[in-house]
Amino acid sequence: MATTEIVKASARSGKFNKNAARRVRRAGKIPAVVYGAGHEPVAVEVDPKQITKILYSDAGHNTIFDLEVDAKLAAKAMIVDWQYEPIKDTLIHIDMKRIAMDKLIQVSVPVKLIGIPLGVKNFGGVLDQVLREVEIECLPGNIPGHIDVDVTELGQHGVLRVSGLPHSDKITYLTDENATVAHVTSIREEVAATPAEGEVVAGADAAKEPEVMKKGKTDEAAATKDAAKK
Amino acid sequence: MLMPKKVKYRKQQKGKMRGKAWRGSSLSFGEYGLKVMECGYITDRQIEASRIAMTRFIKRGGKVWLRLFPDKPITKKPAEVRMGSGKGALDHWVAVVRPGKILFEMEGVTPDVAQEAMRLASNKLPLKTKFVMRPGVTVAAVAAK
Repeated sequence: MATTEIVKASARSGKFNKNAARRVRRAGKIPAVVYGAGHEPVAVEVDPKQITKILYSDAGHNTIFDLEVDAKLAAKAMIVDWQYEPIKDTLIHIDMKRIAMDKLIQVSVPVKLIGIPLGVKNFGGVLDQVLREVEIECLPGNIPGHIDVDVTELGQHGVLRVSGLPHSDKITYLTDENATVAHVTSIREEVAATPAEGEVVAGADAAKEPEVMKKGKTDEAAATKDAAKK
Repeated sequence: MLMPKKVKYRKQQKGKMRGKAWRGSSLSFGEYGLKVMECGYITDRQIEASRIAMTRFIKRGGKVWLRLFPDKPITKKPAEVRMGSGKGALDHWVAVVRPGKILFEMEGVTPDVAQEAMRLASNKLPLKTKFVMRPGVTVAAVAAK
């Protein structure tokens, strides 16, 4: 989804090792790289707040923005990869790709399920969303923010596949048409087990020792080796 | 209890728990998760106790995924035995976790139910944890469904 947002970046110079990257992060920016459209990759630093705002926006990572490197308008770009720190959940690096607005691109778009399925409402099932994003191919100007699909008609054990998503001539699905997007499953309730005490202890002791793989060649491996020799 | 079906060696050395969980630190299956904030061992019994606490609280409402598996054997010598004479017998299995690892994931329930279920699960664990959810999942969004 194209926007009028301008992301300001400044080109990095000097070394591009992890010491330099840490210095960039300590200064309140994050290291990033811009590549694509047949040009040389450029190492830059950007404001993580601005990038977080884009990633959490309605169009998410598919937002197309104007990238300014050192106050010069560089190109239209979008975020193609981003890394989070596992504990603090802060951004540590992003990849940006230059976009040609007249060329088809492949992007992943989130799928939004709307409504409560019949299987959940009437039969106590659970709606399990297997695919949260689908791969599509389209022109950059036609990238949808999200693909909305109504799931109210899904019954118990009902399956929504990629072929069931709304199709249009502007976008082509690259994900397999038979791939499951969501399905309604039934969950068995956890019942408190109350077996005899002796039975549990004996069972637990028996299960503690797993099978140990045998040393040396197995018969199958030896047979295949012999066949190869012949 | 959870344990491997087949192993290459029956006993292992202690090993180290340095660094962060760079893999398995984001939600992959469900909408909510429980993230561990310290490194340590989680035993097969603790995993089972957490799972039971969660599934009993949510009843038939949601789906739960376990993102950890106890694949490290821990040995122990019997009581009142002198040191030496080789390594002890296999006692239990543990999962080695590093900070940032997602332990459990959940889907199909409201955020407050998920948070309470994760709190109950967290009470069974020896490590500090944090409740996490996917961006965009809010109480209002679930109510609108």
